[in-house]
Amino acid sequence: MFGPIASLSQLNRADGSASYKCPATGYSILGAVNAPIELPARRDALKPEEATVEVFVKPGTTTAGVGERYVEGILRSVLGKIVLGREKGFPRRGVVITLAIVGGENVERGDSYLTILPALLHAALLAMISASVPLSMTFSATLLGVTKSGDIVRDPSPTAAKAAVSLHVFAFSSKNHLLLNESEGRFEFDTWELVRERALSICQGVISSDGDVTMDEGTTSASLNGFIRETVEDQVYSDYAYKLDSI
Amino acid sequence: MASTTTPSNPTPPSLSLPPSQFARLQPHAYLLAHLSPPPASNQPSIRANGRATSQFRVTSANAGSLTHTNGSAVVRIGDTAAVCGVRAEILHTKDIASWSVLQASAEQKFDKSNETGVPESQDEEDKGHIQDLNLLVPNLSLSTGCAPGFTPGAPPSALAQSLSHQILSLLHTSRLVKADDLRIWYQPPNLDSEEFHNAGEGMEVDTEESGGPEREIKAFWVLYIDVMIISLAGNPFDAAWASVLAALRDTKLPKAWWDADNETILCSDDVADAQKLSLRGLPVSSSFCSFESDVAAGWRAVVIPDAEEQKQKKGAQQRWILADPDGYEEGLSQERVSVVVDKENGKTVIVKMEKHGGWTVDSDDLRHLVDVSAQRWDEMKRILDQC
Amino acid sequence: MSAPLVLLPSDEVPQDHLPTNSSNPLRLGPGLRILSQPSSKGTNHVLTATQAGLLTTDAKRNTVSILSFPNRRYIPTVNDFVIAQIHHSSVDFFHCMVTPHTAHALLGQLSFEGASKKTRPMLKQGELVYARVQSVGVGAGAEVELTCVNPATGKADGGLGPLTGGMVFDVSTGMAARLIRASSSSAENTDAIEGLVVLSELGKKLESLGGFEIAVGRNGKVWVDCSNAAESAVKVTIAIGRCLQETDQQNLHPHDQKKLVTKILRDMKLVS
Repeated sequence: MFGPIASLSQLNRADGSASYKCPATGYSILGAVNAPIELPARRDALKPEEATVEVFVKPGTTTAGVGERYVEGILRSVLGKIVLGREKGFPRRGVVITLAIVGGENVERGDSYLTILPALLHAALLAMISASVPLSMTFSATLLGVTKSGDIVRDPSPTAAKAAVSLHVFAFSSKNHLLLNESEGRFEFDTWELVRERALSICQGVISSDGDVTMDEGTTSASLNGFIRETVEDQVYSDYAYKLDSI
Repeated sequence: MASTTTPSNPTPPSLSLPPSQFARLQPHAYLLAHLSPPPASNQPSIRANGRATSQFRVTSANAGSLTHTNGSAVVRIGDTAAVCGVRAEILHTKDIASWSVLQASAEQKFDKSNETGVPESQDEEDKGHIQDLNLLVPNLSLSTGCAPGFTPGAPPSALAQSLSHQILSLLHTSRLVKADDLRIWYQPPNLDSEEFHNAGEGMEVDTEESGGPEREIKAFWVLYIDVMIISLAGNPFDAAWASVLAALRDTKLPKAWWDADNETILCSDDVADAQKLSLRGLPVSSSFCSFESDVAAGWRAVVIPDAEEQKQKKGAQQRWILADPDGYEEGLSQERVSVVVDKENGKTVIVKMEKHGGWTVDSDDLRHLVDVSAQRWDEMKRILDQC
Repeated sequence: MSAPLVLLPSDEVPQDHLPTNSSNPLRLGPGLRILSQPSSKGTNHVLTATQAGLLTTDAKRNTVSILSFPNRRYIPTVNDFVIAQIHHSSVDFFHCMVTPHTAHALLGQLSFEGASKKTRPMLKQGELVYARVQSVGVGAGAEVELTCVNPATGKADGGLGPLTGGMVFDVSTGMAARLIRASSSSAENTDAIEGLVVLSELGKKLESLGGFEIAVGRNGKVWVDCSNAAESAVKVTIAIGRCLQETDQQNLHPHDQKKLVTKILRDMKLVS
């Protein structure tokens, strides 16, 4: 199976941007972040001491509808919690995240938005990192489906997701907190716990007995957190090649 | 001069505030003081609204309140009230552009499932028809004045839109409505028995007959489910979903058939002919929020502990999970949990579970919340059965 | 020197990467913060990253900071040099744009060298000033104040004041910082000039045309003027701007920068 593909700072005009493509589900997202900026039209939403996080999701071929509003709300609450909105220059300003769905199947009206949620989360996180928005932690997210026979499938395709008995999205912070869970379908709590364990191992890699994530190259590259780290490192190395060459 | 006129030792101004003002000025401290009373005071930990942490507000439901709808309900949870009306309209298959394509693919599937004899195939087809043809159209509006900040003439707020989507997607994933209830069939007359299409029961009987021409779907019922939140005091989703559930349980569809002579759908005006929808299960939604003791200042200055460390420090309680939060509590917490459960033969099945906006709730808490939701299910079932 | 270390938000700075010079206190650059960790044996402090980037330390000045991505938005910091554009003027202030989509920065009508009620410069909308950030205020909604004089001397040190003629080019904030560091360092080694040879190369090649003047604002703006070049002034200005922007966008190596300069100058028929 191919892992996801991501790159940072692709757009020149935005303060930060990232593209993220998940070959398994077929979704491809382009995210841009502008921060901190004034939000004159959103005076009502502004908190006096913190930055306001605004998320816009733009579907590739149609206009945004109720489903996008819903997923924007989820993203806002997850990302708003990890942005350090009180750092210098951020209070009373906005962190505006725009996520365009540039590839993959359309999410029709009333369809589940869970299939695309991990890709949106990753694109938003990488774009915020690229814009140097101060964050308290990073995270990674994964989509899991439970089939009729009870198997847990990672990143099911849109058709497989429709056939699944239940669908689960999990996001874990870099410190193993459960940041987000969205589950739908019919399932029991024990099934959910199994799926959670699986999701944790996908996000964080294999956890050794003493509770630490092993930092060998082999295991971190397989985990999604490791993938996020590698993507950022690659970009830093290429941006500061002039500095690193001389060392 | 000025110094002599002001008394050098003024009487200290009264620093006590009535509770209602303290609640407005220091909402976080106010709720925190209720939840963690000083140990000396011997008071129980209780929410500012007088409820225990896992206690829901008083809920009442009334079905059939609106007369011009096919089904309706008013549900009130505390000060949050939702009205739901279900209106059924007929959608002719000839008006569906992609009908012939859909039908062909459906038939293929049907053939396959006949061969294998998988009982779930009916469910699958249901989901397909309802979802592909948009047979359920929920819309939620937050009426003007339901809470401060909802001004007349404003476009649907992001909250209203996202609630509409949540209702729609829950209707789809829970497969609450059976597509078979929404189909209007036509059985072409069997030339051998002229009489039959006048007979009321004819359709059901004839499906078993193999000799006659195949019956076909001529139209669908489309259910427009309009929810209006007339008063919003926190937790709109539970109220809205309960009202949808109660309204659908109340919904009666008139008997309809295809009249071949007039080439149109006719409905019976006899109330006795109207049929109730047969719903699958009774998914009940329960929402929670997590109130953190140090929401504003603490976590920015201290290291956020790893998930494992956090678990070990549970002794010093730093957060409370509040069931059915009211508007005041919702404003003070970011982390939300919503669990939708159903019970099949006494066994709890989770239909939907979501949590986001923080990191204090993990699997142990969720397991507990599922149990709380299961208790809430019993309560809601009683309320909905009575209405 | 130890291997380059890339940190992500919430990563702790390892103790062995901190400079050990203890004569003056350790200074933290942007992207790092100190957190206290309450533990059984009192409180100990850890340094954590809030932004992703390359950890850099300066043993001489005892600083530690994170170099994050060059495309980031400029956040005004006291004493930074910026190129601001006048948006409008009021009785006491010029309202200037420093970064797009942010509140205007204020530049006092009299904060110019030798300015008085009579002699103050009458700047119109769209004109440019090279200014220093005087204060950023504290708390939410604070206004950024600019000045065109050094408050200590009352002089316009370092070319502060209105910029007349020339042209402004947008570069990334990272590139602007590099240009400033490169120009302030007199050392000859490649480390100090931040891998930038584009300016010195341009200087050598354009000497015959009268040279050029350049001002770099931390907010990602570079002002270029070469009015000495007479009839080819516009061409030279654009050539310089293109060299800087392409070096920035394509993140060119020093030898590629030299090639780029030669190519662009030949394309624009400035140097044969």
